[in-house]
Amino acid sequence: MKRERSKKYRRLQKLRILSQLVFFVLFFFLFIKTHYGGADYLTITVERYFHFDPLLALTTTIGSRLFFAAFWLSLITLVFTLVFGRVVCGWICPFGTVHQFFSFLFKKTRWLKPKRDDRLSLAPKYLILIIVLVASILTVNLAGYLDPLSFLYRSFAVYFTPLLNLVFSESANLAYVSGLKSLGQTLGQTLGNLALNSFFQNALVIGLLFFAAIALNAWKERFWCRYVCPAGALLGLFSRFNVFKLRIDPEKCINCHLCSIQCQTNARPYPIGEWRSSECIYCETCAAICPTAAITFPLRWQAEKIQGVNLSRRKMLLTSLTTLLVAPIFKITPHRQRAYPALIRPPGALPEEKFLDKCIKCGECLKVCPTNGLQPALTEAGPEGLWTPVLVPRIGYCEYYCSLCSQVCPTGAIKELTIEEKTTVKIGTALVNKNRCLPYALGEQCIVCEEHCPVSPKAIQLIKVETLTPEGKIATNLAPFVNVNDCIGCGICENKCVVVDEPAIRVSSIGEARSEKNRLLLQVNEPGDNQP
Amino acid sequence: MERRDFIKGLLIGSLAAGISPRLLAQSSYPELAVITGESPEKITRSAVELLGGMKHFIGRGDKVIIKPNIGWDRTPEMAACTNPEIVKTVVAMALEAGAKEVIVMDHTINQEKRCYIRSGIQEAARVAGAKVLFPEDQRLKKVNLKGEWLKDWEVYADFLEADKIINLPATKVHSLSKVTLGLKNWLGAIGGSRNQLHQKIDEAMVDLAAFFKPTLTILDSYRILFRNGPQGGRISDTKLLKTVVAGTDPVAIDAYGATLFDFKPQELLFLQLASARGLGKLELEKVRIEKRTV
Repeated sequence: MKRERSKKYRRLQKLRILSQLVFFVLFFFLFIKTHYGGADYLTITVERYFHFDPLLALTTTIGSRLFFAAFWLSLITLVFTLVFGRVVCGWICPFGTVHQFFSFLFKKTRWLKPKRDDRLSLAPKYLILIIVLVASILTVNLAGYLDPLSFLYRSFAVYFTPLLNLVFSESANLAYVSGLKSLGQTLGQTLGNLALNSFFQNALVIGLLFFAAIALNAWKERFWCRYVCPAGALLGLFSRFNVFKLRIDPEKCINCHLCSIQCQTNARPYPIGEWRSSECIYCETCAAICPTAAITFPLRWQAEKIQGVNLSRRKMLLTSLTTLLVAPIFKITPHRQRAYPALIRPPGALPEEKFLDKCIKCGECLKVCPTNGLQPALTEAGPEGLWTPVLVPRIGYCEYYCSLCSQVCPTGAIKELTIEEKTTVKIGTALVNKNRCLPYALGEQCIVCEEHCPVSPKAIQLIKVETLTPEGKIATNLAPFVNVNDCIGCGICENKCVVVDEPAIRVSSIGEARSEKNRLLLQVNEPGDNQP
Repeated sequence: MERRDFIKGLLIGSLAAGISPRLLAQSSYPELAVITGESPEKITRSAVELLGGMKHFIGRGDKVIIKPNIGWDRTPEMAACTNPEIVKTVVAMALEAGAKEVIVMDHTINQEKRCYIRSGIQEAARVAGAKVLFPEDQRLKKVNLKGEWLKDWEVYADFLEADKIINLPATKVHSLSKVTLGLKNWLGAIGGSRNQLHQKIDEAMVDLAAFFKPTLTILDSYRILFRNGPQGGRISDTKLLKTVVAGTDPVAIDAYGATLFDFKPQELLFLQLASARGLGKLELEKVRIEKRTV
């Protein structure tokens, strides 16, 4: 018999690789473009990708009991998957592309040696999906930690951006030192234009998790997609018809097992009749690799059953019940009872409970923040709020005329604001620590915080204070006094304070507009009362 | 008829050749040109003309750096930064005078890209042909400022490598130094922990002014900020004066700028210190000022 691989499916495989490349490059391009590019309002951002993600649509809608309009787009993905199967996983998902690329590399280096009859259960991702969904019913938002787009974007934002920054600044340095001034200048100016943030707390954990996810591809091909990804699992459940059905021509098949060994997601094209349609991502590898071109995907309109995934009712029930018991642990925290001073949310953030229900920790706001002030939270927001954005004024402050974080949020956890609206949103309040402030404590002159206060009239006013020195002299200086009603909590005062380690003026969340409880003064002046 | 024209032309030609600007420079040019008028470009141009023209200051092939105030993320009508039209005009004039390269740069306070773009200066200076550069950390060099207070400090190499420096400050009030004009503008040419300089701001300004010696200073008082300095925030914090003040004496310029806010130059500590250091004239009575409206 003539042995020849199928030209058609090899072409289709190449087309799939091209599609993956295009969608990944677009994702990366939009990721890099998530910064202040010169206009007050961003036009196209990477958030569109998120809107097509049904897992995020489902969990944030269930969790917050609010529907964010842009998530209608995820219906397209669902209907498409219903008819065609998990094409999105194989052809579009940028995180899938990353995994497949590294699986490919690991195969080439022989670190990954696919087994002939891999029996490792594919069920975990379905159980993870159940955990995520049940938790969202209890308003515990876990989807963002494991959603592929969130995971990828967050890792890029927190780990890759600073890395890129380092690469640019170090090569600029090197170029200058080696006398290549124009090259150094090109690199240095590019850095200024891209506004790449360079510091993130928790970068170690987020970066290591990213590498762990990639390294696991050396054990199993597309490890994440096979065993972990809850978004893939959801699409698996929806892949009902799979109108292009795998077919092996028994006449041609030489029982070499190659298709099943090389299957990216262990969807078992061989033996005949064991094809797991809910696992198939239509990468076309099997059909392209088959030495006798025995595999085809003819069109046939017939519903498929989920098979080959050991997903018993008992396991699902037990997982659901366990989640019902375990998820509330996230809520047992004093953060729910009382506001936390370091929990300064970006302007436009919804009230804390709704915010937590919606925030998917994707890190878009962290990437776009022009001062690097937005940071992934560790303990500031309690266990539920891990990696949600908090403003850390000592790292960066909130730029007065900037509302970019509110524009890029894909779920509406940060409500979109115009620049005019944003300048009036109070996110916290600054208070002076007289024990550390130069004029108060040392009798030295300094008005740095007042100079930087962006509101007009300034929320930091200057008063004359007298400080008795040990020599018995009285030092008279101008010292800061905060008009708390005018202060918007942007944190530039804290950021620029010369007492760099523990600033003498600190912003805390008190007075934030989004909370009715976290208030300071009972009587609040009407805006404009202090206008001269 | 033809011969008469020829003789006339000859006469004019020889006159023009005989009286070169150089000859007139020392005697008849004013020390301070104060020009008022509607167009920022026109007043800037005529101020420099009055001082002898840009060729008087910039030579052919010079590398010029222009230091406007781009400190804040504010649009031009807030008067927190130098007027972009004035920056544009000065860039164009420097290039017309034969400058090989004109760099425009400032160490901003708010995020640099936002300041460069929203102040309108990046666009305006680029259109005129300047290289608008973000300050780069890699370019900071520690130098001895040899000041009375400030010794070793980081300065952007771009300022050290330039042949000519033009200072283009804005006109604003400040809570500590009372006003921020030309001398305080040098805080944007240095790196390091600039905020600590406020502990002795007047001394710092004078030390920096003694180090950075601009060929020319043009004070932008087109719109001045008289309240909520140094960044304002409302148009009502500003006042339209439609004026520029140009000259080579940095102290005299700041002294004149102070009077725009009704300060007496003698009241301001940094001006006293600067004049005592011999950096320029503080008493405006002794300065040759020429005012014009165009």
